[in-house]
Amino acid sequence: MNNESTVLIYGTNLGGYRAAYALGKSGHKFILLNRGSYVDEMRYQALAQMPLDFCWICGHMPQRLFKALGAMQDCYNAELLEVSGEAGHFHVKFKKRDKVVNNFACTECDQCIEVCPVEVDGHKAIRVVPEAAWENCYVIDFEHCTRCGKCEEVCPTGALKVERPEEVLEADVGAIILADTFEEPSDEDLRDFALGQSSSVVRNSEVARRSLLTNFVRDSVRLPSGKIPQTFGIVVTPHFNRPGVEYENYNLSVSAIYRAVRLKDVLPQADVTVFLHDYRGTGKGHYRWYQKALGAGVRVERAETLKIVPEDGAERVTIHYASVGGESYTHTVELAILVTGQSPPLQMAELSRLTGVQADGNGFCHIRPFSCCETDVDGIFALGELTGPKGNPETVWEGCATLTEVQKYLGEKNFKPAPGPPLRDVEGEPIRAGVFLCSCFGLFNERIDLPALEEQVRALPGVAHAEIIEGCCTGPTIKATAERIKQSGVNRVVLAVCTPLQKKGKYDKAVMMAGLNPLLCEYLRFREDVIQVHTDRDKMLEKSLALVRGGVEKVKRGMQAGPPMDTFTPRALVVGGGLGGLTAATEIAANGFPVVLVEHEEKLGGQMQYLDEEQRKYVEGLISAVESVDNVTCYTQAHLTQAEGYAGNYHVVVDAPTGTVPVDTGVIIVATGAQEYRPEGFLYGQDPRVMTQAELQAKMSGGETAGRVAMIQCIGSRTPEVPYCSRLCCNQALKNAIVLREKGSDVTVFYRDIATYGKVDYYRLAREAGVRFVRFPDDRYPEVRSNGNGLEVVNGEMRVQADWVALSTGIVPDAENSQALSRLLNYPLDYEGFFSTDISCYPYEEAIKKLTKPFELASNGIFPVGLAHSPRSFEETILTAKDAAGRVLVVIGKKKMPPPNKMFVADVHESLCMGCGLCVDVCPYGARYIDEVEKVARVHPFLCDSCGSCVAICPNDASYLRDFMGQQSIAALDALLV
Amino acid sequence: MSDEQEFEPRIIYFLCSWCGSGGGETAAAHHLHYPENVRPSRVNCTGALPAVHIIRPLIEGADGVVISGCYPGDCHYNDGNFRARRRVALVKSILDTLGLEPERVWFRYVAHGEGQRFVDTATEFNDHIKKLGPNPLKTRSDT
Repeated sequence: MNNESTVLIYGTNLGGYRAAYALGKSGHKFILLNRGSYVDEMRYQALAQMPLDFCWICGHMPQRLFKALGAMQDCYNAELLEVSGEAGHFHVKFKKRDKVVNNFACTECDQCIEVCPVEVDGHKAIRVVPEAAWENCYVIDFEHCTRCGKCEEVCPTGALKVERPEEVLEADVGAIILADTFEEPSDEDLRDFALGQSSSVVRNSEVARRSLLTNFVRDSVRLPSGKIPQTFGIVVTPHFNRPGVEYENYNLSVSAIYRAVRLKDVLPQADVTVFLHDYRGTGKGHYRWYQKALGAGVRVERAETLKIVPEDGAERVTIHYASVGGESYTHTVELAILVTGQSPPLQMAELSRLTGVQADGNGFCHIRPFSCCETDVDGIFALGELTGPKGNPETVWEGCATLTEVQKYLGEKNFKPAPGPPLRDVEGEPIRAGVFLCSCFGLFNERIDLPALEEQVRALPGVAHAEIIEGCCTGPTIKATAERIKQSGVNRVVLAVCTPLQKKGKYDKAVMMAGLNPLLCEYLRFREDVIQVHTDRDKMLEKSLALVRGGVEKVKRGMQAGPPMDTFTPRALVVGGGLGGLTAATEIAANGFPVVLVEHEEKLGGQMQYLDEEQRKYVEGLISAVESVDNVTCYTQAHLTQAEGYAGNYHVVVDAPTGTVPVDTGVIIVATGAQEYRPEGFLYGQDPRVMTQAELQAKMSGGETAGRVAMIQCIGSRTPEVPYCSRLCCNQALKNAIVLREKGSDVTVFYRDIATYGKVDYYRLAREAGVRFVRFPDDRYPEVRSNGNGLEVVNGEMRVQADWVALSTGIVPDAENSQALSRLLNYPLDYEGFFSTDISCYPYEEAIKKLTKPFELASNGIFPVGLAHSPRSFEETILTAKDAAGRVLVVIGKKKMPPPNKMFVADVHESLCMGCGLCVDVCPYGARYIDEVEKVARVHPFLCDSCGSCVAICPNDASYLRDFMGQQSIAALDALLV
Repeated sequence: MSDEQEFEPRIIYFLCSWCGSGGGETAAAHHLHYPENVRPSRVNCTGALPAVHIIRPLIEGADGVVISGCYPGDCHYNDGNFRARRRVALVKSILDTLGLEPERVWFRYVAHGEGQRFVDTATEFNDHIKKLGPNPLKTRSDT
């Protein structure tokens, strides 16, 4: 029996959305169960996870697209009831209740709000959340709703139904993905920090929520009395809270620092202090933010314990804290901002009951070793914050990594977007423009004289047809409008409608159903630019006419052109045969695509000397997999000598011992790894008793031990020479320290910040085991001296005797090879020397902003993974490699592909182009190049996001956007001014 | 004085397709008002607005041009708004050679959710242009 092809996704964290997107794009239908009553109801928790001061509603856009295309069945107020069957053939039963307002049919006319008789807390029982302009969700506060039904009566499209029945549905799916959202600790969990006891204590996620509407001006921190605080304390609460209540996730330290920096931006005179136990910014760019904060005048206080005490009746709280040295201090602030961690998911017990997945020691969902998202139950996956305290990069990577792990349980692809309706060729026809004025189901008639406007529009030059339509945003009205356009026989269309940002898909559909290319059409914001923002009827008429005139002039000069298609070479090139390279190669090959693996050493496997026995076995397993399968071709002692092309069409030359090999490839995965920092000073290399952690581990496995061991952290990390945290050293050092303590050694760890992370709390275990911790200042490392008695570590006034000194060395890029490869591939290295992953998502590493773009092509088809990307652990290397493989699988199957932006791309009038290259430099996506032979600029349609930077910079008007050509814009501007 | 009261400036408000238009849509969603004589015109990105498109309306008689886009660091296309700022600064520096006051062009960041800031900008600019008076080029016969 064949496996089912559809996937059930239960819960909507970031990773879940990303997995849904990847599945839909690679041809699988999915059912998305939203626990909330509308998309983004759990969003504020996501904000707490990052937190970013932008709302990310647009990140959910792909979901709307997939619903429209038919790949997604989205359910709200959903709960999984029963799971039976096995991997490949699960039978699931779930209940759902549709949203009160069907967004697809809602026109946001707000009539329902106007007629609602109930008012509570300053708003009606039916209201809009969030208060932003993108796909507003209308929700009813059922506690106060009287069920009078007035809102339902007045809704012009029937989108609103107060009583939605609860339905129970069943489905057959191949796999289940659990993606429950982040849970913040409750107010009770945070009682030691006076949350809920004083108006001067807020959560950081609350500040982020308020920032959404203000773009973080001082209003988001305003106190209830109206005062803007001048003294702030930002507290990372998991560092000081009772154990087991909340867990620290990846981004907390940098979030606290980020908040501090933003406060200083807006209130430069404010006194801002960050309170934490250690600065645990282990991610890419996190240390740079720390330095930025210090440069901006933010104080960082490292405390051992901390409590917040409110002051009765005053808008002030006092922070009581003890330093690591034991002294007590107090600090009074007007606003304390709590950067909180993550609570274990409350749903674990229920999920275990339903599916059999197990919780780990901390209460999060357990994942199999060496896997990214597989639970203990075959066919059931868990990702994101459900499986542990997470930050956004890991969650985002897990989304696509799931795609690779889930494939083996799925059947044939069962979804293909329907081809668009056939378009009419209007070449050569006399231009007949049609203007269709929307009345929004009659509502606009109250604000403006539509028939008068229609008459005036009809008189405009070039307008062959003008009429008033009821709407163009619900199923029936889209069809009706398409019919009207067709019948009128026009070949250019102006729709005076509303918010094309949201509804472009609908309008495009209407004009395409009428047989016209969307490039020949213009959608005016009639509602947003006129109806809702003005009051003078005559002036509104004048303005509407001007806008329509502009639109008409624009479409008269429009061009029709289909999306430029391109081929995508169905092969992958992997540079580097270590863990990352091997993982990516096996995942892609397992899906039937040929892979070429290039390794510059003699053997595959990478730096196995740092692995323990289990890890080594795992890698050896990958090596035999890669060597035994037909479609992976390995070249060892080989390297790239040439590379040119763009995403989908790369031509590279591999120099191997057998000769030069040309390879055509669609994507390039960079898995070239990194190196250990070789320490300088500290008597390293001079005294055999001074060693690196790896060397210490080797000695310990060999059975050796020493009575007194001192460790020094941050050797080759967070220095001017190596300006970032190497992430793994604290975990590694403390693991070794614990083992040494078990053997009876005396262990002292000299550190700047202990940045352990992950599911096992090595820091707590080390302290419980009796490891001693001594902090040293950032700019004064301890010295190592040799005396007759052994070694001595000198830290200021303190001297510690040791038999061995272990230096915790950092990870540095293989500068020579990285730079050569970066030049060859024309792919930048970031300022830390690793392969860049999008500077515009700074300070959070992974392309969070690129979630709206087809993310698979955002980096021109080149994917750095593992240590080539940044310091990563064994599991994280597997994760980044599987994520890259997942992204590749989304695109590589398609032989011929339209660009992600379809027909809306930039182009070049070659007769006007002089090949100056300005447009090539200015393109943010590297989508342009100069043809060496013809000496003109050309565009890679796959990479073009249609921003228009090339248009503005071209000195000759040679560069144009197909939907914004120069002559169109000028004519439209002239018309706007008449 | 009555001249000024009858003078209704012709103003073009360039908005980028993301934050700029978003600001406009948020303002509309909240039913905030601004003067009817401010006419929006969309560009994909403020960085895609050629200098010519700013100067042309002024030569053709517009009394003021105001441009809004995403905040630095938030540009949907990475860095278009940085180039826009420089381009506008450049345009302003040569306006006097055309006989125009540099203050007839404003560049202000408006975020997607800043409906109030959008209408404030439109209203403030309108008041500002009213004070400056009509475009001096309107009285010339060689444009």
